[in-house]
Amino acid sequence: MIETKNVTKKFNQFTAVDSLNLKVETGDFFGLLGPNGAGKTTTIGMLSTVLLPTEGEIRIDGQKLTRKTPELRRKLSVITQEYSMRQDMTMDEIMEYQGRLYFMPRRKIREKTEELLDFCGLTPFRRRTVRRLSGGMKRKLMVCRALLTEPEILLLDEPTAGMDALARRQMWNLLRKLNEQGITILLTTHYMEEAQTLCNRVAMMHEGKLEDVNTPKGWIRLLGSYAVDQMTGEGVKSRFFHDRMEAINYLAGLEGSTALRDTTLEDVFVERVGSYLEKSKGHGR
Amino acid sequence: MGIVTILWEKWVEFRRDFYKITLAAMIAPLMYLIVFGMGIQTLSHGEPYLNFLIPGVVSLTTMNGSFNAIAQNLTVQRLYEKAFDQVMISPTPLWQFIVGQILGGALRGLYAGAVILLLVSPIRTGLVFNVVSILILLLNGAVFSTIAVVVSFYAKNHTDAPRFSSYIIMPMAYLCNTFFRVEQLPGILGTIISVLPLSQTSRMIRAIAGGGNADAYGVMILIAYLAVFSGIAFVYIYKKQNI
Repeated sequence: MIETKNVTKKFNQFTAVDSLNLKVETGDFFGLLGPNGAGKTTTIGMLSTVLLPTEGEIRIDGQKLTRKTPELRRKLSVITQEYSMRQDMTMDEIMEYQGRLYFMPRRKIREKTEELLDFCGLTPFRRRTVRRLSGGMKRKLMVCRALLTEPEILLLDEPTAGMDALARRQMWNLLRKLNEQGITILLTTHYMEEAQTLCNRVAMMHEGKLEDVNTPKGWIRLLGSYAVDQMTGEGVKSRFFHDRMEAINYLAGLEGSTALRDTTLEDVFVERVGSYLEKSKGHGR
Repeated sequence: MGIVTILWEKWVEFRRDFYKITLAAMIAPLMYLIVFGMGIQTLSHGEPYLNFLIPGVVSLTTMNGSFNAIAQNLTVQRLYEKAFDQVMISPTPLWQFIVGQILGGALRGLYAGAVILLLVSPIRTGLVFNVVSILILLLNGAVFSTIAVVVSFYAKNHTDAPRFSSYIIMPMAYLCNTFFRVEQLPGILGTIISVLPLSQTSRMIRAIAGGGNADAYGVMILIAYLAVFSGIAFVYIYKKQNI
C-alpha cells in the first residue's frame, strides 16, 4: 500500500504538490489525472525518491520511504515520462544493469530478459544500443526493465506516450495482466481512455492538490452517464444527463448536427479542468 | 554488492570505448613528453629533464583520466539520459553507488597512467615505479574521481564539467609539480599550490622514482581531500531535495 501524508513539494516559492493525502491500496490500479502542471510527475518523483518532500511523508506498506530504505525501494519499479536509460548501452546491457542494481542472480536476469524481450517483440534488436532504437522500442524496453525486477508496485508516468495505437493496446493488455497478478499500479496519463479502461480508481489533481478520488464509473455517474453533443459555430457543446429519456428529450429539441452518446472519463476531465480554470480565474490566479 | 554493479557498468563502457579511451589518455601526455622532455632537451638539477617530467606527467595523466571518466559521464547520466533516476529508485545503497564511481574512476586513471608508463618504458631513465607508486596513483585517481562526482552532482548543464576542468584541472596540470618544482613559485601562491592533491602526488611519485620514499604527510593530504569530497557527495545524494 502507498500512503502519502500531507506531502508538500515546493520549488522555491512555487508549490508543485500541496498537502497530498493519497492512499493506493495493495492491488489497486490507480490513475492520477490532471492537466499539465498539476503535480503528477512531481508526485512520481517523490515516490521514486529522486525528489524529497518539503513536508509530509510517504509510506510504503506502513514504512516510511526515504533514500536510506533500500528494502522498500526493492518493491518499486518506475517507468518515467522521459526515456531514462544509458544511450550507449545495448538492450541486453540495460537489462543486466537493472538486474544487478536490484541484486538479482545473473541466471535469473538472463532468463527474465529472454522472456520479457521476447514478449515485447524486442529480441531481434537486443544488441542495438538505445540510441539506435525507435521511440516505441525505447518505451517497450523501459517496460521490460521495470518488470525484470518483479516489483510489487509499479509507478507509471505516462507509460504509453509516443506509442502507436497497436503498441498502446498491447501495453494495456500487459498492464491489466500484471495488475491481475497482484501488482499495485499507480499510473499518470493524458489518455483518458487509458485511465477509463485500466484503472479501478482515479484521482483528479489540480495545481498540486488532490481534488477527489472515485472509480471511473463513479466519476461518470457524477457528471451524468449520457452526453448530448451539439455542433455550434464555436465548436462542440456537450450537455450531460443522468437519465437517458431526459437526454433524448433534450436532443429532440435541438437543431443541426447532434449526437447522443455515453459519457466518458475524458468528458469528466474536460468538465473538471474547465471548472478548475474558471475557479482559478475567480481567484485571480 | 552495489559497488561491483557500478564497476561492471564502468567496465562495459571501457570495453566499448577501449580505443577511444586509450588514445585520449595518450595524446596530451605524449605531447608533453615529446615537446618538453625530448624536443627541448634540458637538464634539471644535473639530471635529464625527462627524468623530472615523467613522474609528473604520469601523475597528471591519472588525474585527467579519473576526472574525465566520471565528470562528463555522470553529468550526462543525471541531466540528460536520466539514467541516474533508475539508480535512485533501485535498492542499491546510494553510498555504494558513489564508492563504485570513485573506484571506477580511480582504476580508469590508473589505466591511463599505466599506458604512459608503458610508452616510456623503452627509454632508459632508471626511474623506479613500484607498488607504492601504484597505490599513490590510485589514491590520486580516487581524489579526482570524487571531485568529479561532486562536480557532476552540482552541474546544471553539460558545459559545467568541462568548464570546471578548464578553470581548475587544467591549471593544476601545469602548476602542480608537473613541469617545475612548486618551491619555485613565490610566497603564498607556492604554499597554496603545494597543498593541492596533484602537487603531493607528483612530489611523492617523483621521490619514489628517484629511489626515495613517499611520506605520510602527502598521503594524509590526499586522504583529507578524499574524505572532504566524499562527505560532500554523500550529503548531496542523501539530503539534496531535488536531484
